[in-house]
Amino acid sequence: MVEVNEDLLRQIVKQVIAEAQEVDRKVDFRGSEVTEKPASTASKIGQPEATDAPLKLDWFKRTGIAKKGTTTDEVVIAVLPGFAEHMTENMTGLAHKEILRQTIAGIEEEGLKARVIKVYRTADVSFAGAEADGYSGSGVAIAIQSKGTTIIHQKDLEPLSNLELFPQAPVITPETYRAIGRNAARYAKGESPTPVPTVNDQMSRVQYQAKSALMHIKETKYVVIGKEPEEVELNFS
Amino acid sequence: MKRQKRVEELEKRPVHLDGFVDEWPEEGLIAMESPNDPKPSVRVENGKIVEMDGKTEAEFDLIDQFIAKHAVVTKDAEKVMAMDSLEIANKLVDPNVRREDIIPITTAMTPAKAADVISKLNFAEMIMASQKMRPRKTPATQAHVTNIRDNPVLLAADAADAALRGFPEQETTTAVARYAPLNAISIMVGAQTGRPGVITQCSVEEAMELNLGMRGFTAYAETISVYGTERVFTDGDDTPWSKGFLASCYASRGLKMRFTSGSGSEVMMGYAEGKSMLYLETRCIFITKGCGVQGLQNGAVSCIGIPGAVPSGIREVLGENLLCMMLDIECASGNDQAFSHSDIRRTERLLGQFIAGTDYISSGYSSVPNYDNTFAGSNTDATDYDDYYAMQRDLKINAGIIPAKEEDLIKVRNKAARALQAVFKALDLPVITDEEVEAATYAYTSKDMPERNMVEDMKAAQGILDRNITGVDIIKGLYEGGFQDIAETVLKLLQQRIAGDFLQTSAIFDKDWNVISAVNNGNDYHGPGTGYHIDDELWEKIKAIPMAINPSNV
Amino acid sequence: MSEINDLINKIVKEAGQQAPQSETTVPTRKVDNQAGHTKMTAADYPLFKKHPEMVNAPNGKNINEITIEAAINGQVKPEDLRIAPATLKAQGEIAESAGRGALKSNFDRAAELTAIPDERLLEMYGALRPYRSTKEELLAIANELENKYNAKITAGFVREAVEMYGIRKKFKGDN
Repeated sequence: MVEVNEDLLRQIVKQVIAEAQEVDRKVDFRGSEVTEKPASTASKIGQPEATDAPLKLDWFKRTGIAKKGTTTDEVVIAVLPGFAEHMTENMTGLAHKEILRQTIAGIEEEGLKARVIKVYRTADVSFAGAEADGYSGSGVAIAIQSKGTTIIHQKDLEPLSNLELFPQAPVITPETYRAIGRNAARYAKGESPTPVPTVNDQMSRVQYQAKSALMHIKETKYVVIGKEPEEVELNFS
Repeated sequence: MKRQKRVEELEKRPVHLDGFVDEWPEEGLIAMESPNDPKPSVRVENGKIVEMDGKTEAEFDLIDQFIAKHAVVTKDAEKVMAMDSLEIANKLVDPNVRREDIIPITTAMTPAKAADVISKLNFAEMIMASQKMRPRKTPATQAHVTNIRDNPVLLAADAADAALRGFPEQETTTAVARYAPLNAISIMVGAQTGRPGVITQCSVEEAMELNLGMRGFTAYAETISVYGTERVFTDGDDTPWSKGFLASCYASRGLKMRFTSGSGSEVMMGYAEGKSMLYLETRCIFITKGCGVQGLQNGAVSCIGIPGAVPSGIREVLGENLLCMMLDIECASGNDQAFSHSDIRRTERLLGQFIAGTDYISSGYSSVPNYDNTFAGSNTDATDYDDYYAMQRDLKINAGIIPAKEEDLIKVRNKAARALQAVFKALDLPVITDEEVEAATYAYTSKDMPERNMVEDMKAAQGILDRNITGVDIIKGLYEGGFQDIAETVLKLLQQRIAGDFLQTSAIFDKDWNVISAVNNGNDYHGPGTGYHIDDELWEKIKAIPMAINPSNV
Repeated sequence: MSEINDLINKIVKEAGQQAPQSETTVPTRKVDNQAGHTKMTAADYPLFKKHPEMVNAPNGKNINEITIEAAINGQVKPEDLRIAPATLKAQGEIAESAGRGALKSNFDRAAELTAIPDERLLEMYGALRPYRSTKEELLAIANELENKYNAKITAGFVREAVEMYGIRKKFKGDN
């Protein structure tokens, strides 16, 4: 049995509550329009709802608008808006740094390159995967939410379809992330790997669903409508 | 603090592993009656709704627009909206007021009014109202049939097993999306082997799901999701109009279809706009009505952990089922997701729908052990059958399934596995060995199955699509493989799609392919002695639980 | 319109309670039953049992010609197993007589869509999803529905979507 990290949960709740108050959101019947309005202005790029500054990290730096890959020997990993800079670990307390380190190692084991981008338009893992496909030279991309949910996506698939989906973040271990990286690389090479074995723990959802929702709500606060993905430079040394 | 020993003991109980959260209305973590929920209102001009629930037409979002244009019966709207919500709630519970006299009222309400009416009812009153308001007189329930290795042989055997136990509808999905055509074929063949007349579906991405139906691999679809806020709706990659179009696509191919929604999904997806779960779910139910869809799977469904975590959440879940029935829509009432570590709370979750009876008490009773449930586990699974049978027997309730004898289960499991073996052979799919047939016949879970080459299976699945294989090819394969009776029943299934009788509200089939729906089996409950009753033949079956002692043998 | 529907429903209901089921009034083998036929009611349900003679595939093949022998001999094609627009219209009338006008509106759209090939239908659905199409692309689909497939009701439905997508920013590039 995995133990609920109660402190983390409290922390998240508190943080989100604090932010919700901070941005002075006017609660009215047209809540969605308040956040969506910027989309219709001339710039077409909105603002995130949350106003806290991204954490300054030595291992995770954004370096400007992401480029579309041209070589077929790469797999793009798309992280979602809150990843690393606003939340630092997944639902079960696995550090985002470790998640990326393992996933990249998996890709490199298969002799391919990994490139990381951060997407802003969505907090949904499938749509992030679908957007990242377009940036990946091989057409294969992995998307990872802050709470840990992960997908392997390939261009030409419907956004909500996938090559492999790992919807139960609480059962994803570091080894699983590595295996996900490996499989993504093998799809990129045109191979048909055996899917990473699905672990099923029906009770983990019971235990984590509320927390999962809170982390997801937080992720949505950093969504920016119309904003292009940014390139991320990593330093694990 | 020195710990009190009894309190310490309590903390070890399974219920302490469940997630409970305080209400947080700003983010929609509130079951009913959020302070941000709109107040009911309507203004109709020239037969058109120009104001609804506190918004003018210019302020309508995509969902308001759709509901105003398509879902609310405008003729009586202003009259009904002027009625006291308590009076409408009273009619729902009063057995002397018939269903057919209530529907014209409930279909002329706005979403905020509907939510207000539901909030007037306590849990017992909701049960009373559901008993009367469900569209089909005869209750039923639906099964999940899956395994985490997407093993086709086991799927076929498990589908036959579930069919024999009486589930008239079965749903599968995939662990790996590319397996979809194989899984769909496997449970269709298995289900028809266990009991002719069962209809099956395969829950996958929207466009693929329709594709499988068009080919004749599935007979209905259910996971066509709708959501209660515009942002979440588009994150679900649809709009009310694309979903309405999709609904008509299904009907145009003679396929039964219902939508899926459920409280908590908007919170899960992060854009609840501060509204209560019930109010947002109300909007989903109205969208379903507006699309002209016959049915809806709701009752929190996969998001049960969200309403389940807040106060009055499980009451809200029955409330949203009831509201679905009040709009005269088939209701597959949830109970399809692992909900609690506590067996007491699992039973609590089931209770309302179980006692009232709904079109499908569970929209996914896991007919396999939860270990193999790729819907992430259900509230009740294959290991709960005998408890469930005992509950039916104790309370004299038909909650949708009947006990089956072990020798009969073995027989149909084996036959289904062999039938699928024949189909695979005829369609030139990767071989199913006799060893696999034997294992599937006696398996507990997919752990008992020999490994299959998953890569080859997935290639074969793609091949089924590329080679344009259809239901007719499966009929041929069954017939030529010596399974004429199953070939015949698959043919009957495909015939039903030409007639479309099962497109009507709440339709299922009996073993002789007689359709049973709200049209020819409408709910006429209006007090004791009316409505649904268990007939003698069924009662004998429900009584015959495997563990009962025959006194004459003592 | 709904007022008339309600009235019809009421009359139908009253009639259904007294009159025996009318099985002989239905013309057989009529592919298009729109003009001047007796409306179907709940008493005509299920169609397969009560009116098998009028249940035909769009190509005119009767449901009872779909036999196991025919299937084995390769005489049953996928197009023989399709529902016809006339059948959907009839099911719509049955739904309406049972008090479900909304269901009828769906079946009416569905009757129009029976003419569209599977692949094109899937494409049209895809095009209606959010952020997939420009206004012009969706209007072209509406015109195709109306002119090529005579799907007037569905064309109107798509045009309504175009109007709403314009107001609520759901066209390609709006996200």
